[in-house]
Amino acid sequence: MELSFQKGSRSLVLGGLLLVVMALFVARLFYLQIIMHDDYVAQATAEQVKPLTIPAKRGLIYAMDGDTPQKLVMNQTVYTLFVDPATVTEPEKIMSVVRQVAGGNLRSGIDKLIAKKDTRYQIIGTKLTRQQAEMIKKENLKGVGFQEVSQRVYPEGGLAAQTLGFVNSEGAGQYGVEESLNDRLTGHDGLLKSVTDISGVPLTIGTQNINRPAKNGDNIALTIDRNIQAYTEKALASGLQKSGATHGSVIVMDPQSGKVMAMANLPTYKPAEFTKVTDAEAFNNSVITKPYEPGSDIKTFTMATGLDKGVIQPTSTYVNTDKITVEDRTITNATKGETGTITMQTALNYSLNTGMVTVAQRLGDGNNITQGARNSLYDYFHNRFGFGQKTGIELAGEQGGIVIAPDQVEGNAVRYSNMTFGQGMDLTMIQVASAFGALVNGGTYYYPTVIAGTVNDDGELTADTPKAPRTGVISADTSTKIHEMIHTARATFYAKNDKPGYDIGGKTGTSQTIENGKYVDNQTIGTYLGYGGDSAARYVIMVEVSGKGLNLQGNKDAMPIFTDISNWMIDYLKLQPRG
Amino acid sequence: MSYQTTTQFYSSRRRPAASSWNRNQNTVAFVSSVKLGPIAHTVLVALMITVLGLVYLTQATRATSYDYEAQKIDTQIADLETKKGDLEVENARLTALESVQNSNVAKAMTTPASTEYAR
Repeated sequence: MELSFQKGSRSLVLGGLLLVVMALFVARLFYLQIIMHDDYVAQATAEQVKPLTIPAKRGLIYAMDGDTPQKLVMNQTVYTLFVDPATVTEPEKIMSVVRQVAGGNLRSGIDKLIAKKDTRYQIIGTKLTRQQAEMIKKENLKGVGFQEVSQRVYPEGGLAAQTLGFVNSEGAGQYGVEESLNDRLTGHDGLLKSVTDISGVPLTIGTQNINRPAKNGDNIALTIDRNIQAYTEKALASGLQKSGATHGSVIVMDPQSGKVMAMANLPTYKPAEFTKVTDAEAFNNSVITKPYEPGSDIKTFTMATGLDKGVIQPTSTYVNTDKITVEDRTITNATKGETGTITMQTALNYSLNTGMVTVAQRLGDGNNITQGARNSLYDYFHNRFGFGQKTGIELAGEQGGIVIAPDQVEGNAVRYSNMTFGQGMDLTMIQVASAFGALVNGGTYYYPTVIAGTVNDDGELTADTPKAPRTGVISADTSTKIHEMIHTARATFYAKNDKPGYDIGGKTGTSQTIENGKYVDNQTIGTYLGYGGDSAARYVIMVEVSGKGLNLQGNKDAMPIFTDISNWMIDYLKLQPRG
Repeated sequence: MSYQTTTQFYSSRRRPAASSWNRNQNTVAFVSSVKLGPIAHTVLVALMITVLGLVYLTQATRATSYDYEAQKIDTQIADLETKKGDLEVENARLTALESVQNSNVAKAMTTPASTEYAR
C-alpha cells in the first residue's frame, strides 16, 4: 500500500511549514556557527583566557663583609589596605579593627574615605606587614581587601645611600646602582595565559595556554665592604663635626684592582625614606657627580709627569723665591719662607706652587711652558690619568669634568701653570683617586668599579670580569720614586699620626672656590689624598670637606679624617708592619 | 543469546568445483539470529556517544580538580616564600652592623692593649 498526502491537505501544509522553520533554523545555525565562527571564538577566548603577568623579582644588592657577600638591599612583600565603600556594611567595625592592628600604617581621615559610598576603591593603609594583613583578614570584614606590593628594604639603614640609590614609586631605580644597573636588577616579567574559572583560577583545559616563567633580576654584589663603609661614614661625620664643615665626601679604593671599598657623602639620607628628603642634593654622590678644582693634591701628578718625562728627579733643585712669573701673571706660594735652592722633594713637602711651575717649564724649554710642555701635561693628565673624562664607574650621574686641551685658545701657558697645582681644571674625586692608585701601584691604571659580581640564590658570588687595566701609565721606576716622594711628604710633618712600621703617604690640598667667575678668599675646600699599606699600597683614601663661607684646610680639616680611616684600615686589613 | 549454524557447509575435500573459497579459510560462519532494527542502532549509537561524552567529562573534571589542587599548592608556596622573605629580612636586620654593635656581646668587648704579629 502506498501512502500519500492529498493535495492541499492540512498535513501537507503543516509539513511545508515545518520544512520552512527547519530551513530557517539551519540558516541561522549556519550563520552563527560557520560565518560568525571566528568572531564568537574570539569573544569566548577574551572572556575565558586571561593573561596573568608573573612579576619578576628585583635583584638584591649585596655589600662585601671581607670575602662574604652580605645583603644590603632586599625585597619585602607588604600590603596596601583598601576598601570598596559601596559594599562596606560595618564601617565602625572596620575602623576599629584596622586602627587596632595597623594604626601606624593608616592614612588620615579613613572614616571619610570609607564613607565615600559613590566610589569603589579607597586606599586606607599602606605598607602593612604580612602579620597585620593576616590579622585583619581573619575578621572577614566585608568590603576590605589587600594588594601585595614588593618594596625595597635596607637592613643596614642608610649605609652607602648615595652608592645604592633607591627605587621610586613606579619601580624604577633612581641614582646610584639602582639607576645605572636598573635593567640588570629588574629582570623580565613572565606570562601565564590560560583559561580561568570565574574566580580567576587558571585551568589547564584549552590549547592556547602559555606559561612563560619570569626571569628575576640579577643579585648584584658591590665591592663596597660594609665594615669599611660604616667606619668611613662614622669618621667623616666625626671629622665634619670637628671642622664645622657642612659637606664632606670620602672614597676608599684598592689601588691594586680599582675596587671601591667605601664611598661616603654627607649630608646623606635613608633610601627607605627617600620621600622625606627635602634637599635633592642629598641624593647626589659628590665623589662622582661634583667636579671641582682639586688643588694641591694634583702636585703629586705634576711631579710624576716630570719624573716620567725625565726632566726632574726628587733631588733636582731649583731656586725658590716664593714667586714665579708666567707670561703676564705672577704666581706665588701659599707657604712662604722656604726660599733659596731647594729640591723638588722639598717643594712637594711644602706644597710650593713655584716648584710645580718649574716642572712645567722644564717640560718645555726650561724657562717657558711651551706648546710641547702643555702637550706633555695634557697627555699625562688627560690621556694617561684620565682627568676630565668619565671613568665609567657603574653609578648613575657621573660627570666628566673639564681639562682644557693645549690646542684651544684657553689652553695657554697661564692655564697650564695653574693646572700644575690643581687649578684651572675641574675633576671629580673618583678621577683623582683612581689615577692616584696608578702613581703608587707601579704605574697601572685600574678603572674604578663598584661591582664585584653576581650572587646566586645560594649566596655564592661569581666575580664579574674586570675591565682590562691600562699598564704603563707611568713607568715602574717613576712609580717607585713618586711613591717615596708622597710618603716623605707626609712623613716629614705627620709621621707621628700614623701607626709605626707602615707605608703611609699623602698630600694635602686646599682649593680656592669660584663665585661668579672669580676666586673668593673666604671659601676654600679642604682635601687630602693618600695611600697606606705594608709592602705595597693596599688602600687609597681621598677626603674632601667644604661648606658655604668656610675656609677649610687640607691639613687641618681633611687630613684628620684620612688619618682616622687609615689607622683603622691597617687593623681591619690585618696589615703587618714592615721590618 | 543463542546462535545457530548455517545449514550448508563443505569440507575442504568436498568443495564444489565452482566454489571460490581458499585454503585455510573458515568453512563455518555463525550468523546471529538477533536482528537489530534502525531504532535499536540509533539508540546504541546515542548510548555510545553518551558514554564517550561522560568519559570526556570525567577526565576534564579530573584535570580541572588537579588545577585547583595545583592552585592551592601555588598559593601555599607563595605564602611560604613570603614568610621566608620576611625571615630573611629579619635575619639581615639582626645581623646588621648597627644591631651587632649595640649588642651586649659587642659592648663587653675591649680594645687590645698590644698586637703581636706571627711572621
